[in-house]
Amino acid sequence: MSIQEHYRSRAKELLSSGTVKMVIGYGTGSTPDRRRPVFITSPDETDRLVLDKACRTNLSGYLLREGLLSDQKQVAVFFNLDGVRSLNILAAESQLETAQVLVLGFRIEGEEVTALQGERAADFKSLIAAAKEQRKSQPPHELQEKLEAMTPKERFSFWEAEFSRCIKCYACRQACPMCWCRRCVVDNNQPQWVNTSSHTLGNLEWNLLRAFHLAGRCVECGNCSRACPADIPLHLLNRRMSDEVQGSFDHYPGMDEAQEPVLASFRKDDPETFIL
Amino acid sequence: MAKIGVFVCHCGENIAAKVDCTKLKAAMESHPGVSIATEYKYFCSDPGQESIKKAIVEQGLTGVIVAACSPRMHEATFRKACAAAGLNPYLCEIANIREQCSWVHSDGDEATEKAIEITRSLVEKVKRNNELQPILVPVTKRALVIGGGIAGIQAALDIANAGGEVVLVEREASLGGHMAQLSETFPTLDCSQCIMTPRMVEAAQHPNIRLLTYAEIEKVEGFIGNFHVRVKMKARYVDMQACTGCGDCIQKCPQKKISGEFDCGLANRPAIYTPFAQAVPNKPVIDSRHCTYFKNGKCKVCVKVCQTNAINFDMQDEYLDLEIGAIVVATGFQIQDTSLYGEYGYGRYPDVVTGLQFERLASASGPTGGRIARPSDGKEPETVVFIQCAGSRDPSKGVSYCSKICCMYTAKHAMLYAHKNHHGTSRVFYMDIRAAGKGYDEFTRRAIEEDGAGYIRGRVSKLWQENGKLMVRGVDTLLGKPVEVPADMVVLATAMVPQPDAKEFAKTLGIGCDEYGFFNEAHMKLRPVETATAGIFLAGACQSPKDIPDSVAQASAAASKVLALFSREKLEREPIIAMNNEATCSGCWGCVLACPYNAIEKKDITDRAGNLIRRVASVNPGLCQGCGTCVTFCRSNSIDLAGFTEKQIFAAVMGL
Ligand SMILES: Cc1cc2nc3c(=O)[nH]c(=O)nc-3n(C[C@H](O)[C@H](O)[C@H](O)COP(=O)(O)OP(=O)(O)OC[C@H]3O[C@@H](n4cnc5c(N)ncnc54)[C@H](O)[C@@H]3O)c2cc1C
Ligand code: SF4
Ligand code: SF4
Ligand code: SF4
Ligand code: SF4
Repeated sequence: MSIQEHYRSRAKELLSSGTVKMVIGYGTGSTPDRRRPVFITSPDETDRLVLDKACRTNLSGYLLREGLLSDQKQVAVFFNLDGVRSLNILAAESQLETAQVLVLGFRIEGEEVTALQGERAADFKSLIAAAKEQRKSQPPHELQEKLEAMTPKERFSFWEAEFSRCIKCYACRQACPMCWCRRCVVDNNQPQWVNTSSHTLGNLEWNLLRAFHLAGRCVECGNCSRACPADIPLHLLNRRMSDEVQGSFDHYPGMDEAQEPVLASFRKDDPETFIL
Repeated sequence: MAKIGVFVCHCGENIAAKVDCTKLKAAMESHPGVSIATEYKYFCSDPGQESIKKAIVEQGLTGVIVAACSPRMHEATFRKACAAAGLNPYLCEIANIREQCSWVHSDGDEATEKAIEITRSLVEKVKRNNELQPILVPVTKRALVIGGGIAGIQAALDIANAGGEVVLVEREASLGGHMAQLSETFPTLDCSQCIMTPRMVEAAQHPNIRLLTYAEIEKVEGFIGNFHVRVKMKARYVDMQACTGCGDCIQKCPQKKISGEFDCGLANRPAIYTPFAQAVPNKPVIDSRHCTYFKNGKCKVCVKVCQTNAINFDMQDEYLDLEIGAIVVATGFQIQDTSLYGEYGYGRYPDVVTGLQFERLASASGPTGGRIARPSDGKEPETVVFIQCAGSRDPSKGVSYCSKICCMYTAKHAMLYAHKNHHGTSRVFYMDIRAAGKGYDEFTRRAIEEDGAGYIRGRVSKLWQENGKLMVRGVDTLLGKPVEVPADMVVLATAMVPQPDAKEFAKTLGIGCDEYGFFNEAHMKLRPVETATAGIFLAGACQSPKDIPDSVAQASAAASKVLALFSREKLEREPIIAMNNEATCSGCWGCVLACPYNAIEKKDITDRAGNLIRRVASVNPGLCQGCGTCVTFCRSNSIDLAGFTEKQIFAAVMGL
């Protein structure tokens, strides 16, 4: 049985037994290489589920749609490992409880899509630990390498040019599972720290601010870059932040739901004296 | 409409020499919202303050900017003046054009330009300031004194004698600290025990002092006037109520070979013991690490001999929660581990001892009954070499500071030796003699002139054993010649260092410490007994190396600070506290985790029927210290700090 068939029947089973009230997965999109999220609530509709190498979107953000989880019922979601990590972060940041989420795990390697063992976020602990180790030895992205080689000035002009195309649609924010604030700071105009018009300064402010807010939280799922209509390689910023956080604090976001946010936690034995 | 008064201070020459104050004044006069701008030589002086008050009344000012020195210096002064003239003190702000401008710039024009920007920025901020009311908090009139050395005892007695309640916590089984170990004390050579033990008894019997020995501080929470402290009472395995202190158990305990801490390893003690004969309280504890019963379940000799059934092997550590208004930290010092100086042979040769061991040898209550004898064979040494700065003033291997007391106690040791062994020879290797203090120089001169101590200026480079002698090689830098002294005993003036757990303990208390672990005072010169944390004070050698007179003086100073605090029914706290916007908070609890004072709680938001809708952060104004940590953490900017709101800061930045 193909992995797609396997998960279709698992989804049918979960829905007909009443274990979950909804399955969030992937369906066909507007072109063959695009997938669009589908929200299946009836066992008769599970044939709409697609699982192939085009299923790249991280679906965890949909779990936070107002009220979805408020009835304490369970929802099943298709997740790759990044998705499971984001689920852990959402739980660590008290935005949901993992007990309400059933994971339909998969991994894409080249052409091949395989199933991941386990159905609860905690079942993936060792896989995530392995991914953490692997990240350390991962060669940098081609463009990232180019950027690192630049002088700060060149790098700044690179980003300035990239950000100049930003149209302030905030698709990156809407697509990012970590952007769950009830009110984003850019929507606050009392005072207006971030200029809302899409000019150089405002765009820089916005994109850098978002990068900072993602420090130690980004799971590098790539939702932001894929959502950006201006094709800005946003994930590179977050990737760089992740390198920094992993290098300095050995912090890999989303290890488990008890992980403390790296920027809000401190230890008494910290060698620095800044802690009173 | 804003009516802001701007008062440009010359600070004598400090500001006016660089900043063109008249130009600054003129620039402010034309700034929107400014009703009056004036300049004056010293606004902090009486006529200066009066002119501000007058302007507030006459012009009906709604805000005041004093462009002057750092707000740390005079913010309180000017806010008080404003309050006296009827203006809410939080409508007064200081534009720092001294430390952040005139002092650090050489070009006058540029400094003036910068001063204008700084002042303008503050004018924009003050326009958005709100009237704030101080927060009144009650004061728990009970002091906690941590450490039962001379400093802690003095502070506790001073507070208690003035009628304050004190909890005195000592982690060892007895009060006393280092002073109880000393023989005689410089500069008067009075016997340490004779002046110390009566104080220990007085502290233990004082009706206002609750003494907790063998106890440690587990947790400190809260704030000035309202600390919550958890004390761990370590299991003594001896019931304090039942024990009469007869000491039968100590006599009979078969474990006799444990190196005694109080005698610095020069004598042994049993597993059930009091640290020394004059201990307070004079009731033993069982050292469970060495007790035979704890090691292999057999023995209980003490249980058998105890007439009052005071021994209880099932005793557990207990925890005590205390409400405390003020804390005096008097945790003292330790001496440095001298074995790191291989060239001095400490640890290798038994007759190389530390100054503290020498104190025990010279002490009438010590292992030799006051006879100065070699640890190796009990013979009285004919020649003793004293090595000063064995660890101090040595940035490469030891500590870079001067331990302050070693010059004095080495002179004392040479004297004690001369008094007890009339035919002996003493040689002191020293770098300088630092004997600043009342009667101190006279004291060291006496050691040299009357008691024959031979002082050699220079460092010791090597020490070895040869034909039963300790050969000490050094350089006499005054003669420019190497010297070799054959000695029978060598005494190292080891450095005074902080307690090994001082850095960790500073974090438990929420106070700062220096790179070594000596606790930080709020201001070296003007606030030497306060810490940066309100309500926590310092006394004794935990702050820096100190002798007894200095430790006692600081302890009394700390006590007076505590008593000043206790003389008030309520404390006024600055209303600079965080406020959370419940409408935008997402309940991520990042701020809860980040707040170092545990001041943020989780609050339920319910619908009309009482069903939980969501949970949000809620700041407890009694606990918040206004540090602003949470503000920087919250991504949605849902928290604001009163007096430093987003709107105010934004206006100040845009005013630049
Ligand atoms: C060899 C030598 C000779 C000296 N001779 C003289 C002299 O002749 N004249 C003179 O003026 N000075 C002399 N001094 C200096 C003198 O010993 C100190 O000035 C004095 O002991 C400092 O007192 P204190 O209370 O600050 O510290 P300490 O005496 O060290 O007392 C600190 C107390 O706090 C306790 N404590 C530590 N941490 C904790 C904790 N976390 N919780 C609870 N309790 C804790 C310790 O157990 C100890 O009882 C000498 C020092 C040395 C080393
Ligand atoms: S910032 Fe981009 S890559 Fe990172 S978690 Fe958000 S959407 Fe994914
Ligand atoms: S998605 Fe792209 S264009 Fe839209 S706001 Fe984000 S960076 Fe700008
Ligand atoms: S950090 Fe901000 S959003 Fe999170 S709980 Fe605190 S106030 Fe609310
Ligand atoms: S300002 Fe914020 S972090 Fe600081 S004490 Fe108050 S609530 Fe805690």
